[in-house]
Amino acid sequence: MRLRPWLNSLLLLFLTTTVCAYVYKDYDENLLLKTLPNNAVLASFRFVTNGTYTNHHSLFPRSLAQILSHSNTRELHLKFTMGRWDAESWGAQPFNGQTAGGTGVELWAWVEAVDGPTADKRWTTLTNALSGLFCASLNFIDGTRTIRPVMSFTPDGDHEDMDRLHLLHGSLPREPVCTENLTPFLKLLPCKGKVGISSLLDGHKLFDAQWQSMSIDVRPVCTAPDSCVLQLTQTVDMVLDVERSLQRRDYPVPRPRPREELNCDPNKPYGADGSPCFPRSNIADLPWSISEVFGRPLHSYCPLASEPAEHVCLDVPQERPIYITRDSIEVRHPDGRRCYTLPPAGDFDIILPQQSPALPITPFPEPPLYASRSFTGHGQEHGGVKAVIKNPHPTRPVEFVYLESLPWFMKPYLHTLKTTIYPAPPATGDADLESPVTALYYRPAIDRSRGTHLEASLLLPANSTLILTYDFEKAILRYTEYPPDANRGFDIAPAVITVLKHSPSPQHTLPYTISGAPIQQGHGRVAIRTTSLLLSLPTPDFSMPYNVIILTSTVMALAFGSVFNLLVRRFVGADEVAGKKKFGTVVEKIREKVRRLKGKRKTE
Amino acid sequence: MAIIPLALRSAKLFRLLPALSALFVLVGIAWLLVLPLDDYSRRTYISENALLPGSVHTYFAGSEQNVFQAYREEVKALGRDASSDDIVARIGDIFKGQGLKVGVQKYKYTASGKDYEGKNVYAVLEAPRGDATESMVLVAGWRNMDDVLNESGVALVLALARYFKRWSLWSKDVIFLITSDSRAGPQAWVDAYHDMQPQNVSPLPVKSGAIQSVVVLDYPTSSSFDSIHILYDGINGQLPNLDLFNTAVSIAGKQMDIHTTLQEMYSHNDGYSSRLHTMLRGMVNQGLGHATGPHSSFIPYHIDAITLQVSGHGYHDEVSMGRLLESLFRSLNNLLEHFHQSFFFYLLLGARRFVSIGTYLPSAMLLASSFTLSAIRLWVQSGRTTTTITPACETPQRALLLPTVFTLLLHLLGAIPLYLFNTTTSTSLTTTFTNFTLLTLLLPIAISYLLHTLLHPTQHQLTLISCISLLLLGLFLAALATLNFSLSFLIAVFAVPYPLAHAAAGRGKCASAFWVLLLQVVAPTMALVGVAKYWGEEVGLILEEAAFGWVVWRMWTQVVVWCVWWPAWVCAGVMACSGWWGKVVEKKMEEVEVREEKEEKKERKEKEL
Repeated sequence: MRLRPWLNSLLLLFLTTTVCAYVYKDYDENLLLKTLPNNAVLASFRFVTNGTYTNHHSLFPRSLAQILSHSNTRELHLKFTMGRWDAESWGAQPFNGQTAGGTGVELWAWVEAVDGPTADKRWTTLTNALSGLFCASLNFIDGTRTIRPVMSFTPDGDHEDMDRLHLLHGSLPREPVCTENLTPFLKLLPCKGKVGISSLLDGHKLFDAQWQSMSIDVRPVCTAPDSCVLQLTQTVDMVLDVERSLQRRDYPVPRPRPREELNCDPNKPYGADGSPCFPRSNIADLPWSISEVFGRPLHSYCPLASEPAEHVCLDVPQERPIYITRDSIEVRHPDGRRCYTLPPAGDFDIILPQQSPALPITPFPEPPLYASRSFTGHGQEHGGVKAVIKNPHPTRPVEFVYLESLPWFMKPYLHTLKTTIYPAPPATGDADLESPVTALYYRPAIDRSRGTHLEASLLLPANSTLILTYDFEKAILRYTEYPPDANRGFDIAPAVITVLKHSPSPQHTLPYTISGAPIQQGHGRVAIRTTSLLLSLPTPDFSMPYNVIILTSTVMALAFGSVFNLLVRRFVGADEVAGKKKFGTVVEKIREKVRRLKGKRKTE
Repeated sequence: MAIIPLALRSAKLFRLLPALSALFVLVGIAWLLVLPLDDYSRRTYISENALLPGSVHTYFAGSEQNVFQAYREEVKALGRDASSDDIVARIGDIFKGQGLKVGVQKYKYTASGKDYEGKNVYAVLEAPRGDATESMVLVAGWRNMDDVLNESGVALVLALARYFKRWSLWSKDVIFLITSDSRAGPQAWVDAYHDMQPQNVSPLPVKSGAIQSVVVLDYPTSSSFDSIHILYDGINGQLPNLDLFNTAVSIAGKQMDIHTTLQEMYSHNDGYSSRLHTMLRGMVNQGLGHATGPHSSFIPYHIDAITLQVSGHGYHDEVSMGRLLESLFRSLNNLLEHFHQSFFFYLLLGARRFVSIGTYLPSAMLLASSFTLSAIRLWVQSGRTTTTITPACETPQRALLLPTVFTLLLHLLGAIPLYLFNTTTSTSLTTTFTNFTLLTLLLPIAISYLLHTLLHPTQHQLTLISCISLLLLGLFLAALATLNFSLSFLIAVFAVPYPLAHAAAGRGKCASAFWVLLLQVVAPTMALVGVAKYWGEEVGLILEEAAFGWVVWRMWTQVVVWCVWWPAWVCAGVMACSGWWGKVVEKKMEEVEVREEKEEKKERKEKEL
């Protein structure tokens, strides 16, 4: 019995240290559902885990922690993205675009190292290890795909000595994101997709989305200089097409519906006889529920998450009627969100019934910029890139950084880089002042060892469009350098546009907090990415290398032969030349000899 | 060329050259005529295994037909002559109602004084989770090439857009394009897609990725059809990959049981004469290098495209066509790479038989080299002295300045008709052409007269003019054969008499007159009249089409006609006339040669003795 007070004090000590070390709760998760125009629903899952490299009792996944500590990575951002965010109908990307990457896989990290070469080595370690962990071809991010951005990214975490940190960035636009990447993603979660909101994450639904993005962000967060934690934020954002999701449930194959089920326009003059049917547009809201759209209801809640908390939030018009499962408490927030606590046991579902007339759906607020990028020209030798960036705001100019990371075989001509603004700003007479480019960072490519890195800081006046163009030359690769399916072309990574000093409008600050501490990302910067591009290079006919060799040799021989002849010969008739006999054929020579022999015989 | 001294040292061989040249012509033409035989042509086959034509089940039927009918009513209600603003607004609304991104493009071209303007409307079906790198295009012109309302075609594109939207399986974006006409609209759109548009064509507001293939639908009736006529010729004789054509034929035949035809050979019995006809019609279209359908504009951008046109009356209706297109797009969707496996250079003899470049190219090459052979002969001849054979102690000096300058000037003169016919307004095109034809009849005679009275060329120089002209013709035609086989072949056939005409000068005034007359029959202007007769159209319309092609389609057939063919023809005419006012006609080469041989024999005998 003497032992108990000692044990108690030990327990007390342990508890106090724990409380002191972890100001935040270890784990939290929440889900936001927002209806978007055109019957789309944004589902944004967010899982936040706090831990350290060394503490084996924390929820922070050990596999990831080991990789980070081994490669001396202090901050990591890994994004898997598929599809396109339709900014025109949905508005700005959630979380200022900080949780999404470009098409395919995008990775950037701050690696601690004394110098550049060491950082490169550690970066290789990191990419190879992550490649194994996430079943993605991240190991293909080599020197030719790595850049060191100078203006576009800033660290989110609290770092002590920034001088020793090296920012490295790489992307794989061709990487298809699929279930094999989702499974390791879910394994990092403490509830492994069994219960809680992560139980909704099913590969079939996630990868049928119009746009989806999985992101993993690790950063150190310090509340005081000596109490720092490593914070892992896992995000899954996806935009589901309600119409297609519902239809896939009812009709796995989209066969034509019976005519009676069609929503025909009765006002058309020709529909009277019942045969032609002008389908009415599906702009009206479709009724849906979580279990219909995700294929299963939300199962309970993760017991490791902080509780009681509003784990599921819904952003729909205030007047919209909603049905929810029992044992759940609704909390209405002043900004229009409705949040729900999950029942301790059993399933949770939200049903949005059919309503008429449909309430107008507000998309996300307008993004600071609209951006698109495309190739210009044709042919296998040269090409051009045209990026169209539009500032829709009537009064506010936008300052942003445009980042391009191009492979070495696409060689841009920097002197052709041109920026044009429509409508043209008033002329001041000073070309430097008029140019929207305020700073330019350019690192040219070296064949087969590094790619081009182009970063331009631009200032776009209010309510105008910037057209940025440059020309490039296509390199000819060695035949071993072509990938499989070489005739498809090469994917060029999306351009990253970072809007600096964007003052977020109120709707942008979404309710993602753990124990009241807001999650800051990107320091109010907004990231916008264009789509990737397909570059077709001159491709040899791999199925017939023999023919190619034969043909080239023949052409070379013919060309050489003719040119050589033309240069050194004069074309004349044989009989015009002195010493005609020189050209005698073998037969004639023999004849001549015979003749001589005959002559000899005669003389004899 | 290095063999000349060796081979031509014998006068016999030298005399054989004209025969050899004639043999080349005969073999070249005969070569083409044997191509339709089974031994020289091949059955078509699908080379790209990823296409898997006809392996998917198609579902376009049932209530989709009701929707299609409604859309057709909408199209009919607007009518053929609806303003492009109305069309764009109505079609755009339908596309928007289907939840697609819609873009509108305005264009205006001016050719031979006429304005061609309109608006294209298109919708982009973004592939779910697609990355916007690749796309396929389904096109229907509001009015087809014959200026008829493409009522079922447009309606089917609308119905398929709605139907395709429901599928999740697209790996590429699908673009649905309705152009207000079938000639300028597609060109304006594809130019703007690559940012290569001229000034009066507006850029595209919405774009997708690299276009991999294009299918155009031409379905201008509401009645059922019997077979599908596939158009495949591109601008300047470029062709789409044979795999695209084969896929369409294969799906239509095997899956939908629809008969396919091509080159307007609607009753093709797969016999020799049908095959030959199909091939020759294909060669005429290829040789002219004009657009045969809206698909033609895409091909110069290395985008494989075909037009499906309905023909006849039978039991197939819009559902068959819809299912054919569904299956075709599913096949194209399977493609991992750009079309590259199959042939880009071929002559089709029927829907399922073709000749590849390796087999047909020699015929045009033989024809082209027959001119080169004639030129070589003239070159050698120009080096010989006229009277006796002097065992030359030094290489003969050739006076090349006048012949070279003269031939080059003739070729430059071609720029005048080129400019004239591409810029004259359409109303005066016919009169311009008549005047030009009359002028051109007299031109060789006039040039010949001027040449002889002003410059007094020697026979030696005249021979060299012929030589350089024929050498250039052979060179151009051989180079052209690799770019546009048919054009090269057709010009070569018309140019066959030129070497003979060049030789006519030495055969007296009657011969000259005969050859001058014969040349008029094979003149480029006469060929143009022939083409007009072949199509049953007015020459003015053909010229208007050509000028339109020059401005809008960037056709270069005219350059070949006016700067290669026409100068060669004028030169042949000039040489043929020179017999009339040339000085003393120098003795024929043959006589010289005969004497030469005799002397040689004498020498030998003397030696032997």
